[in-house]
Amino acid sequence: MTADGTAPPPPRDGTAASAHGAAPEADHAGPPPPADDAGTGTGSGPPPAVTGAPRDDAPETADAPPPDDRTPWHRLDGRMIGADALRVLLSMAPAAVALLVVGVDPDAGVVWPLAILAAWGTFKAARNTIRWITTRYRLTDAYLERRTGLFVRTHRSIRRERVRSVDGEARLLQRLFGLRRVKVGAGQMNTAMESALVLDAVSRGAARDLHARLLGGQGAPTAAAEAADGAMDGAAADGTASPSEALLLSRLRPWWVLYNCFSVWGVLTALGLAWGAWVTLGMFGFDSYAWLRGLADWGSIGVPGTVAAAVLATWAVGVAGLAVNFATTYAHFRLERTTGEHGDVLRTTQGLFRTQEINRDENRLRGATLSEPLLWRWLRVADPLIITTGLSMWSAASSVLPRCPRGHAQRVLARILRTAGDDDPLRAPLRRHPAGALRRRLVWAAAVAAGSTAVLAWIAATTAMPHPVWWISGPVLLLVGSGLAVAGYRSLGHTFAGPYVVVRSGAVTRATSVLRTGAVSGVRVRQSLFQRRLGLATVTVSTAAGFGGYEAVDLAAPHAAEFADRALSGGLAAFREPAAAPER
Amino acid sequence: MTSISLRPPRHRVQPRVVAWWTLRALCGTALAVAGPLAAWFIWESSRTWTGPVAVAILALGLLYAAVVPYWRYAVHRWETTDDAVFVAAGWFVRDWRIAPISRIQTVDTTRGPIEQLLGIATLVVTTASANGAVYVRGLAPDTARAAAEALAEITRGTPGDAT
Repeated sequence: MTADGTAPPPPRDGTAASAHGAAPEADHAGPPPPADDAGTGTGSGPPPAVTGAPRDDAPETADAPPPDDRTPWHRLDGRMIGADALRVLLSMAPAAVALLVVGVDPDAGVVWPLAILAAWGTFKAARNTIRWITTRYRLTDAYLERRTGLFVRTHRSIRRERVRSVDGEARLLQRLFGLRRVKVGAGQMNTAMESALVLDAVSRGAARDLHARLLGGQGAPTAAAEAADGAMDGAAADGTASPSEALLLSRLRPWWVLYNCFSVWGVLTALGLAWGAWVTLGMFGFDSYAWLRGLADWGSIGVPGTVAAAVLATWAVGVAGLAVNFATTYAHFRLERTTGEHGDVLRTTQGLFRTQEINRDENRLRGATLSEPLLWRWLRVADPLIITTGLSMWSAASSVLPRCPRGHAQRVLARILRTAGDDDPLRAPLRRHPAGALRRRLVWAAAVAAGSTAVLAWIAATTAMPHPVWWISGPVLLLVGSGLAVAGYRSLGHTFAGPYVVVRSGAVTRATSVLRTGAVSGVRVRQSLFQRRLGLATVTVSTAAGFGGYEAVDLAAPHAAEFADRALSGGLAAFREPAAAPER
Repeated sequence: MTSISLRPPRHRVQPRVVAWWTLRALCGTALAVAGPLAAWFIWESSRTWTGPVAVAILALGLLYAAVVPYWRYAVHRWETTDDAVFVAAGWFVRDWRIAPISRIQTVDTTRGPIEQLLGIATLVVTTASANGAVYVRGLAPDTARAAAEALAEITRGTPGDAT
């Protein structure tokens, strides 16, 4: 709590980027600074002085070539070579076992996969070794510099004050050798979608040292991960690295695995696993087909039974695969708020074999999304996401928690946004949308059902397709479509809560998004002729963060201008019709 | 029948832009017809259905090219104030966009070859959002240039972070 208690609230708006060189702190449309709330125990100190660094979003390389001072250059850690030697051995092991121990016939079907596997391992090892030979890095007073490349030499330097994050991660092999892959981010993610600089790999100590020197000393980059994997790395001496510096926002509850092991990816996982097992067993001379045939008397079960058994088995394997994957990915998961040199940071650490740490700058936080897929909505389970600038919504960094109970997700997001109690935008009662929105959805459902039925009927009339297809599919489509129409209508809503605009929509996946009105960079009102007849309009608020735009779908047309105006903090006043202006 | 309680933006665009929209519609139609037409020539057994498809696409495209450009012209309006850029566009789906000056990142004018031939220009105003820029088509080149310069001038004087 100490770190959090002394931390001033971060400047949430207006300080992140200055695209045309204006004073970064002046955000004319900015809401008041975040209210001090008891929930997070945050100090209500004065807003921090703007750091001296210009906060450009294009930090890339140096403005001026760094002076060539006497700071020595470092190599990547030499244990990489050991890890790569082991990698080569491991990649050749299957071949050795198959050919020498089991004594499989070396025909083409067996040799090729094994050869490719061994070649791939060797290739990666060679690449790593070349990188080890050619890479040098150093940290001078002003710059972090890296030279790398065999044929194309690159020299990249980043001003130290622009460094926003230092994330460490380690795959299993790297962890065995006490190595860390260090990703240094400088806020360039929104243009290049990549880290500014990657050092793959340095020793754990060097990673910790880099983090301390670049981000102001207090936390080890992989402190939590270290604590978690101390046993595996053998040297747990640093496992006690001050966890009290960070405010723990959430950790993992083991039963969340139930929420995260059912998804369509399960089928793909199962198919992948089955194919891998089939090929591997085949290599060792095991006849999987005969084994499967011998499991049961498939002839007496019949085709439907066989199909059902196959589907069930696939599903079960998929669920198990996803569960294992979730458990290894999210083991030792912690979501914390720590204090960095440039303001507070949301940090997640996770991983059993492959550890991963992601730091997100809170200055870039603009809002949050709670996404509830249809089936999970009944179980009150949701996916929480944060809306930040500079991060793709599809990247792992925008997901701060795995799928978890909705109440927990709401509480954690409220603590992340520093909203609580009555002001919590995620719990604010929403304004419903007019009945015309339901009518629009029902008409669409009916139109789709009618159209597809007509096409199917025409096909049935002209080809050999049996007629029952269309007179069964028609009502089914109508029923499903109407259900989705009602679900979609019921999920519509919008409101304003404190400095946030809240919109909710989605028939299959209901998404509630809250966005700071200070982050809205434009509005767009759309109205089709159909919507006009029904008295509806759709308003999109655009922003530089997250998905880029968030829609209030089908709100009452007379209310649209007012909604857009409030979302823009009054920026629409000059364009509204005078008669309609006072309407609420 | 309920419309949005926004007044229309102040300025209309040049009528010449109708020709540009018509040309674009005709080019699009030609491209769309090319596929079925090629199939009709190459693949003889498909003529029973590629023929009607091509004719249907052609008819719809010509109808679109005849009607929609005028419809667009009737809707398309724009305005800049000291605080915002306000554009109305669209035809079947009406579209009003407002970009506050403080969030504008770039202001460009572009002129494609056909636009140069017709003597019109497009004003493109981008904000930091990935959600699309604001386009004002069919301006007289001088108007577009003056508007861009004015916007750049206001933008320089307006505090804001464009995010």
